[in-house]
Amino acid sequence: MGGMNFAFLCREKPKPTGKKVAIIGAGPAGLAAAGYLVCHGHEVHVYDKLPEPGGLMLFGIPEFRIPIYRVRDGCKNLENAFEVKFFPRTKVCFGNPNEDGDDFVEKRVEFEELVKNYDAVLIATGAWNAYLPNIPGSDLEGVFSALEYLFRIKSVKLGHMDWSEVPPIEGKKILVIGAGHTAVDAAIESVNLGAEKVYLSYRRTIREAPAGAYEIHLLQQRGVKWLERTMPVRIIGENGKVRAVELVKTKMSEPDETGRRRPIPIEGSNFQIDVDYVICAVGQMPTPPFAKETGIALDRKGRIVVDSRHMTSREGVFAAGDVVLGPSKVGKAVKDGLYTAESIHYWLMEVRE
Amino acid sequence: MRKVLHVDYSLCIGCETCEGVCEFLHHGKPNIRVYYTVTGIPIPINCRHCEKAPCMEVCPAGAISRDHDGAIIINPNKCIGCMMCLAVCPFGVPTFDVKLKAMTKCDMCADRRELGMPPACSEMCPAEAIFFGKPEEAEEEIRRRTAEKIARERISSIPLEGVGRQL
Repeated sequence: MGGMNFAFLCREKPKPTGKKVAIIGAGPAGLAAAGYLVCHGHEVHVYDKLPEPGGLMLFGIPEFRIPIYRVRDGCKNLENAFEVKFFPRTKVCFGNPNEDGDDFVEKRVEFEELVKNYDAVLIATGAWNAYLPNIPGSDLEGVFSALEYLFRIKSVKLGHMDWSEVPPIEGKKILVIGAGHTAVDAAIESVNLGAEKVYLSYRRTIREAPAGAYEIHLLQQRGVKWLERTMPVRIIGENGKVRAVELVKTKMSEPDETGRRRPIPIEGSNFQIDVDYVICAVGQMPTPPFAKETGIALDRKGRIVVDSRHMTSREGVFAAGDVVLGPSKVGKAVKDGLYTAESIHYWLMEVRE
Repeated sequence: MRKVLHVDYSLCIGCETCEGVCEFLHHGKPNIRVYYTVTGIPIPINCRHCEKAPCMEVCPAGAISRDHDGAIIINPNKCIGCMMCLAVCPFGVPTFDVKLKAMTKCDMCADRRELGMPPACSEMCPAEAIFFGKPEEAEEEIRRRTAEKIARERISSIPLEGVGRQL
């Protein structure tokens, strides 16, 4: 079989409308939107700071879940059959400084330039900002986010990095914090890379694990030590490097006013385990391509605010995917990308519903 | 030409792309939906277009038929909305559409097939877990894809770039 067919709405490129759309971010939302827009005759240029389009489908999710060729061939098809122009290694900025994941950036384009040069702009930059827990020692060498870790592993497999740029895992002891899909993938990759011991710490029980009990059981079968009802309190270093981590056992609180039980530490239940790396997968924040006030409103979780037309608080600038939804799923981003592209099309063609 | 739309549950990663794309094409009502079992396994449920379709056999109004590609189709003009098709469906697929006053379900993207395009879910599934085509072609792809998955899980620490045949 071939790649994903992002332009699944048409068989071939239709007559051009003469309208040009810039998409920032070549992940599932941006690519799905690109597919819709080219099928409706618009010229589409896609900007992305990574060396090739695909977003988290290529640079985050392990290959055994999503085959690389499935994404790559899909992007090639957009490029060859539908004349979508990709601008890889290109960061769209508001003059903002360097961020995580800028490793591959070679060119910079001002956002205002895009607004000036295109009929519409779509922001689909996802949620790449991974939290690190705010505990003593989280600045030590050997503490990193699971997203960064998976990003580096995939970058090697895609041929953009060398194994020397991935922390050496073989024979090492690793603690992964979290129990979502990112945590599970970081744990599996660590096992595959030959870690001596992999621990997975989660503050609730297997029943609440966002990745589902099945995935956690699979990990346990592969030798991962599941530490449920634990949370890290401090990371202990030696010569600036991680040596051990101190965890505390948790119990569930009485339901609060919202009816939710929260894990609270049990005093005096602290214990230590020796580890070489602490990999954190405790959540991600949206990463809009700007740092502060630019006339585009964000909510308190950092998500871009859009109206029912998927338009931001700036006329002609739309947003879709995780940068609007918060960290979600490939499918939710694809769906949002499609609906947003439809809305862009109506807006460009002045169709009133 | 008999075609199949096969969902391979072991390859599904629960990303919900099939559901999102189907919803977009069907005005907010997807004909394929991902359900999560109590153990957290994602299972997409849609019409399997059975060879001996119980819904087609039980329908008292004769509203269910098979089209030239082998897709099981409900004719909303003939459907009396008795839900017998849902009662006998091993997968609980047919849905009562309140507006249409008839049962609806996956039709393997009938209007897309008219134009020579495959069902949208199979086009967009990132995990390549949905197969469409002649049975023998689909089966061949399923086995090929499963072999790749097994190999990837086993040797995922070895970069595949430059090793053997490029994918």
